[in-house]
Formats: sequence, C-alpha cells, structure tokens
Amino acid sequence: MEFNQTPMKIALFSDVHANLPAFEKALESIDQQKPNAIYCLGDLVGYHIYPNEVIREIRKRRIATIAGNHDTKVKKLTEQQLSETGNNHAYGIIGQDEKKYLATLPAHIQVDFELNEDKLKMLLVHGSPSRNDEYLLEDKDEADFIKVFKDAGADILCFGHSHIPYHRILSETIGDTTRYFHAINTGSVGKPKDGNPQGGYVLLHIHKNSGKLYADSLQVQFVRFDYDIELSAKAIENSPLPDEFAEKLRKAV
Amino acid sequence: MKIALFSDIHANLPALESFFVDVEMQNPDAIYCLGDLVGYNIWSNEVIHEIRKRNIPTIAGNYDFGIGRTSNDCGCAYKTDDEKANGAISISFTNESVGDKERSYLRTLPAHIKVEFQLNNDKLNLLLVHGSPRKINEYLFEDREEKSMIRIMEQADADIMCFGHTHKPYHRIMNSSNEGQNHYRHAINIGSIGKPKDGNPQGGYVMLTLNDNSSILDKDSIQVEFIRFDYDVEKAAKAVEDSPLPNAYAESLRNGI
Repeated sequence: MEFNQTPMKIALFSDVHANLPAFEKALESIDQQKPNAIYCLGDLVGYHIYPNEVIREIRKRRIATIAGNHDTKVKKLTEQQLSETGNNHAYGIIGQDEKKYLATLPAHIQVDFELNEDKLKMLLVHGSPSRNDEYLLEDKDEADFIKVFKDAGADILCFGHSHIPYHRILSETIGDTTRYFHAINTGSVGKPKDGNPQGGYVLLHIHKNSGKLYADSLQVQFVRFDYDIELSAKAIENSPLPDEFAEKLRKAV
Repeated sequence: MKIALFSDIHANLPALESFFVDVEMQNPDAIYCLGDLVGYNIWSNEVIHEIRKRNIPTIAGNYDFGIGRTSNDCGCAYKTDDEKANGAISISFTNESVGDKERSYLRTLPAHIKVEFQLNNDKLNLLLVHGSPRKINEYLFEDREEKSMIRIMEQADADIMCFGHTHKPYHRIMNSSNEGQNHYRHAINIGSIGKPKDGNPQGGYVMLTLNDNSSILDKDSIQVEFIRFDYDVEKAAKAVEDSPLPNAYAESLRNGI
C-alpha cells in the first residue's frame, strides 16, 4: 500500500475535566501539530475549578464537541446539590451561559470517508455508542467489542471516558475476507489515569488508501505533553473540592 | 448551540476573508464547511490554507473530489456547449495551479458528517452533505417533490439535512408524520460563499441555532438564519479577467448568477 501522500490529520481529545493549565498546554501542542480538524469527545467539566474557562476556550475556538457524562449530568443536579461543597462544587461554579452550552452539545459525531471503493465510518462518542457513561476497556471480549462496532455501523470508534489511552485493532474473517475495526481511546487531557501524569490526546492519520480491509491503513499517534501539575493540584487544594482530586492528578490514578 | 455552515467558496479568497470577519462577529459554537473549496477563480491554494489553518471540519464537494484525483471531470452539470468549454478551462487551470499538499488534503476529505443530538427524549440528527446523501453532485433544488425529499432524508436517517452545491439557499420544512405523530424534517441549502447564483452577488452562509428543547416534534424549535455579507466582488471578478479563466465567471460574480 502507498502512504506517500500527506495524510488527513485529525486531532482528538477528551476528558479535560476543568483542568485549565493542562488544557492550555494541550492546545499549544495540538496547534504545533497543525491538524486538519479537531474534535473534542466530552467531559469538559467536573473535578476541578476552571469549567467556565475551559468551556469558553472551546467555544472561542469553535471546536466541534460532543457531550460527556459529566457534561450531561450538570442539568440533572438540583439547586441544593449545586450549592454543596465537595464533589458537587465542581458543577456549582458553572455559569448559566456555560450550562446552556453543555445542555445543547450533541451525543455523537460521525464522519464518513469514501476515499476508495471501501467506505470507512468514524464514530466519535464519549463512553460507548449506546451510553456516555459506559466503559469500553482494552480487555473487552473481542466478539462483544465487534458487536458494538456493528450495531453502531462504525469501522473506527473513538472514545474517552476511562482516561486510559489505547488503540486496539479487531478483526473478523468471513469467507476469505478479513475486515478490521479500530477502537481508539483518546486518553485524557486533564485527568490521566494510566500512571503517567502528563496530559494526552490522539492524532489520527487517514490516507487515500485507508479502508476496512487493511489493518495498518490508519495510524494512531498518542501524544503526551507536560503541564504544571503542581499549580493545578494546588488550585484544587485551595478550593472546596476534595484534596484527593489533587493527589490523583499528581499520581495519574 | 449556534452552528455556522458554509460551502461553495470556489477559490474566491476575498469572499472567504469577508465571511470569516462576519462569522466571527456572530460568535458561533462550531463551524463546518460543506465543500467545494476550489475551481472557477484563482485562489484555490489560499482558500485551502485558510480553512486548514482554522482546523475547520470540512467535507468534500464534487469539485474537490475531481481535483483531489487530478481528474478533468468535476461532476458539474453543464448545459450548453459554452458552459462545457468554460468548465474544461476552469478544471484544467485548477488542476495545474493546485499544490501537492493541497491536492492531498482534498483527496482525503470525508464525504459526510453526521452530528447526533439527544437533547430531550428524542434523537435529532443533523446531516451535512455537499450535494445529497446519495451523490456528491446531486442537485437538491427547492422545487423537488416533497415525497422524494422525505425519502432521501429517511434513508439517510436525517432530521436536519444541510447541503450546498446549487448555490441557491433555502429552508424547507416537511412533516413526515407517522401514525399521527409529527416528525418535522428540515432541508437546508446553505447557499454559496464565493459564487452565489440566486441573483444576489453577496456571499451567503447559514447559522443554525438549537436549544435544549429542539425536537422533531416542534417545527419552530430550530432556527435557521440566512446571512449575507458584502465582499470585494470587483476584486474577485477582476482576478478572473486577469487570468486564463473565462470572463463569463467574472460576470457571474458581479450578477450573482
């Protein structure tokens, strides 16, 4: 297969979780990569003190964004819950205008490629195609995982939610044809849980030959970037949020 | 949620620059481009650069499809011999002037984007295509039979379908009610940034506004605004006249036809 052409470069990020210091560095890093398109896979808020700043930056940049479970949770909380300290403080500080934005985010974005005889559907979700709070973990049973792809009509499924990045290629052979599916967890910008406290996002490279019949027909690059974790953790400790959220940023757990 | 949708720039950089100034003032939450970046004017590479630079999710138009494959067929429905001869000059001029990287970008653009909302209890699918869901170069004019339009949207599972290609903007609401339950579908032609054909030479685009109560059950719960903006038409027309492109394209820009 030829990959001699410049590929379509798509940046995918998610799970910022109101961590503005991490988000600013993510955007710097993404800008340096000069992607052709950027998508955000949700969970802009929760666990940190900068939800409004993160939402404003995403809106200002007109980034196509879908809703995560934390984003859809906000409208379900009562006035009482929103005025509490502890976990719910992270939602209580979200402004009216920002709440409206979260309440109108789409659930999924599907991008259909028809680059050759082989059509390729890329589906962006937060958790899974059926629920924004379902975890699609790397060790999921292959047959079950393929069913998720087929039910959603997807060849490439990109999601976040677990904060643990991976790219798993699944295959199914019928007769003498083998078809491949790509499961891509984009990791987390602002709350990684894979033991590496750096923020992370994904660059997807799609070529004119990309299709479902070649396992290596798209490249998935996991980018990690440094940010001022201590500054970010201290901001949590100086707020009504639980101190354990700060420790989790330091340890990436 | 304010979503700006634009298409059919057709290498008209002065129009695209004025569009960006205008749309920034509107402060949308997302911007999508529905294709046909190139052809009919001299700034194909510059238009691609401006759109790539802004990381705007973009789908391929029929002209992009042709140039991406270095084809001499843009899939355009030219009627007269003059139109065919002019079209041949435009596509060969565009093929010669587009750079390798820019051609690769056009070559790998997706065909459609579907944005799926689940705002209340129902689903609301916004489908973005260039011509129609079935064909990149199918013209969906406003006078298409309602049954046919509804069938196209049902097959594509689209509640709001936005497209360009004809360069003539319109918004048509149809009720494909099922067992007494209303199901309003919106067909929206977003017009053209750089080559309008509705008699108004201003550039045009669409602003779609969705609220948390937007639904297929209420036809007024989705706002569609057609925005027109001035740009330096004369500069774009002169650029055509000073190039190997047919002068007829300059006149089209001046008259919006």
